Amino acid sequence: MTPNGLTPVGRATSADMPEARGDVLLRQGLTQQAIQSYLDAVTIPATASLCLKLARCYDRIGNHSEACRWALSIVDASDDYTTWQAGWTLFQRNAQRTAWPAARRVNVAIAGSYTTTQLGTLLRLAAARIGIQIDLYESPYGQYQQDIIDSGSRLYRFSPDIVLLAVHEGDLHLSEFSSNPAEEVQTEITRWTSLWNVVTNESRARIVQHNFALPCDIPAGHLATRLPGSRYMMTQAVNTGLGQAAGSAVSIVDCERLSAFIGKQRWCDPRYWNMSKQAVALDALPLLARHTAAVIAADVGLSRKCLVLDLDNTLWGGVIAEDGLAGIQLGHGAEGEAFVAFQEYLLKLKRKGVILTVCSKNNHTDAIQPFQQHPEMRLKLQDIALFVANWTSKPENIRAIADTLQIGLDSLVFVDDNPVERDIVRKFLPQVDVLPMPEDPAYYVRTLSQYLLLETASLTAEDSERTAQYQARAQIKALEASATSIEDFYRSLQMQALVTPFDETQLPRIAQLIGKTNQFNLTTRRHGMPQLEAFVGDTNYVHLALRLRDRYADHGLVSVMIARQDGNTLDIDTWLMSCRVIGRTVEATMLEHLCRRALQLGCTSIRGTYIPTPKNAMAAEAYPKQGFSRLDTTDGTETWMYDLQMNGPVTNPFVQSVDSWDPPHGER
Amino acid sequence: MDLHARLEDVFRQVFDNDHLTLRDDMTATDIEGWDSVAHINLMFGIEQAFGVRFKGNELADMKNIGELKQFLSGKVTA
Repeated sequence: MTPNGLTPVGRATSADMPEARGDVLLRQGLTQQAIQSYLDAVTIPATASLCLKLARCYDRIGNHSEACRWALSIVDASDDYTTWQAGWTLFQRNAQRTAWPAARRVNVAIAGSYTTTQLGTLLRLAAARIGIQIDLYESPYGQYQQDIIDSGSRLYRFSPDIVLLAVHEGDLHLSEFSSNPAEEVQTEITRWTSLWNVVTNESRARIVQHNFALPCDIPAGHLATRLPGSRYMMTQAVNTGLGQAAGSAVSIVDCERLSAFIGKQRWCDPRYWNMSKQAVALDALPLLARHTAAVIAADVGLSRKCLVLDLDNTLWGGVIAEDGLAGIQLGHGAEGEAFVAFQEYLLKLKRKGVILTVCSKNNHTDAIQPFQQHPEMRLKLQDIALFVANWTSKPENIRAIADTLQIGLDSLVFVDDNPVERDIVRKFLPQVDVLPMPEDPAYYVRTLSQYLLLETASLTAEDSERTAQYQARAQIKALEASATSIEDFYRSLQMQALVTPFDETQLPRIAQLIGKTNQFNLTTRRHGMPQLEAFVGDTNYVHLALRLRDRYADHGLVSVMIARQDGNTLDIDTWLMSCRVIGRTVEATMLEHLCRRALQLGCTSIRGTYIPTPKNAMAAEAYPKQGFSRLDTTDGTETWMYDLQMNGPVTNPFVQSVDSWDPPHGER
Repeated sequence: MDLHARLEDVFRQVFDNDHLTLRDDMTATDIEGWDSVAHINLMFGIEQAFGVRFKGNELADMKNIGELKQFLSGKVTA
């Protein structure tokens, strides 16, 4: 099975032979030769058993990084429990030896109502696949509530970043039939929200809550749906209530949907419950682990935000340059409908905040023709943040797309029907994730809907306006090329900034920025919602949120500053800026406002800290560029000082600071 | 592959040991790492590999290689 739940057909026979040859060679102890045979057998995507065999061979000859790579590719290739378990054992051993890199380390405490040992193992594998190294703690069996309620428990001593409530329907305190369902449901919802509150009060952890999969075995039968007091209907009400009650510190994994997706009979196997209290069958655990890992990835800001789309046979059937406008498959007919459905799904993703770009080997005039003239095209040119059609190689073009939009390659997902292009991108741009496209366009939507790195932790107003912002960014690149001096360029943007203290409604967006900004981030301190709320309530702290707009777009909230007053000095705890507005002097505007606040508070100096990470080199010049002088460097961490009395406040002639967003840009 | 070799493959995968060899008189105590978690993984792996289903008590008690092979040979056409 592939991750999209489909069994690939019609391509196994010829590949079987080298795999069988590899098996023979391996039994003879000829590992190197076996690897060669297995590599010959690899199709795209590779099968799980081949991934495992290759991982095992590389493990045996001590090539730890290849062993890790193949062990992780099992996650993409299948949902087979036994292969995943073996994959984890191999990955763990080899990752230690090769110091396998992880984008994030996350402490996850599993507070579970059933045996979660197996879930924990698989979760670590699924998370490793997407760049997260999980360190794990598990509450003792049957004690998750005590572990959460007791502030001195081992759970809190573990200092979790995430508390995962891995719970199941059997654990709900609901009767089989209630005469007062509203009250019973509310009591149960309150039991869970109280646990959430304890976690957020006692720790800095976020909560990931598994909701409740409806069971197969319903005593009330079909009648249950007509009875609000049946346990069946109350369980649904609890799920609904938990979704509504989940604030910004809580993410929900929709186990009800997952159990329906995989089938209720597979989700729960009573034999394994009876023997060892496995509430979710082993067969279903890889699916649950993958989705839980994806939600955690979104929580820590590791989800991807931009699709790079091929055109021919990806957005329509056929080749536009050869078949012409009337010849391509789009709408009318089974295959044409599949492409329409795929385009409509892409549009929905765009509304969720996913950026769409095009990268096609075509003449530009041919490539845009369907967008402009084909009546069945759902995607229009204005839906595409950046349109690249030329004869340059895809890796080169993808690099250019990332540069132009000023986002990392690790934000991109490549979508192309052509396995050769997919392989080239995978090879030359390993940071770009490649969607494992099925052969039949009818399943494009399913594949994309099962792709997990497009999960988002919350929807902010900015998300739905992203495309316009990124289009603006591409226009600005063009303008930059034509402006005679950089100062002219800055002025031509007609930038305006609205800088305010944090307000309650902005906190989710601020937390999102703090969670995911890596490049222009001076200290990379990942404050969560509880800390942000604490800063807002503490008069020793100055906090500033900057919104930016220009003649092209409203970029939304793009920069955050948090500073603490320390006598006559304002000490910058956190300063970051979204990469969408880098290189536009916005830094100076933020400092301009910090200087104003400093003077109001009677401070005479500002202290800044720069903590280097593998990703934030571009922020290294932030302080010296604005006239700070270096005080000290300890273990790479630099301390900088700005003397307000000597230098006067920082000012920025290129960005006009305004007090409100009214009137609209250009009308004052 | 005969039943013995197929079973051995499952054991090698579950216990992450390419050199593990099975004898009929072996029990859980003879194989390093055969604890309760490994037992579940093992039983599940055998079910998947051979397309069989153990009953509840078989699932819990099947801790002897000879017995396992006897059970499987009754259900599987090797």
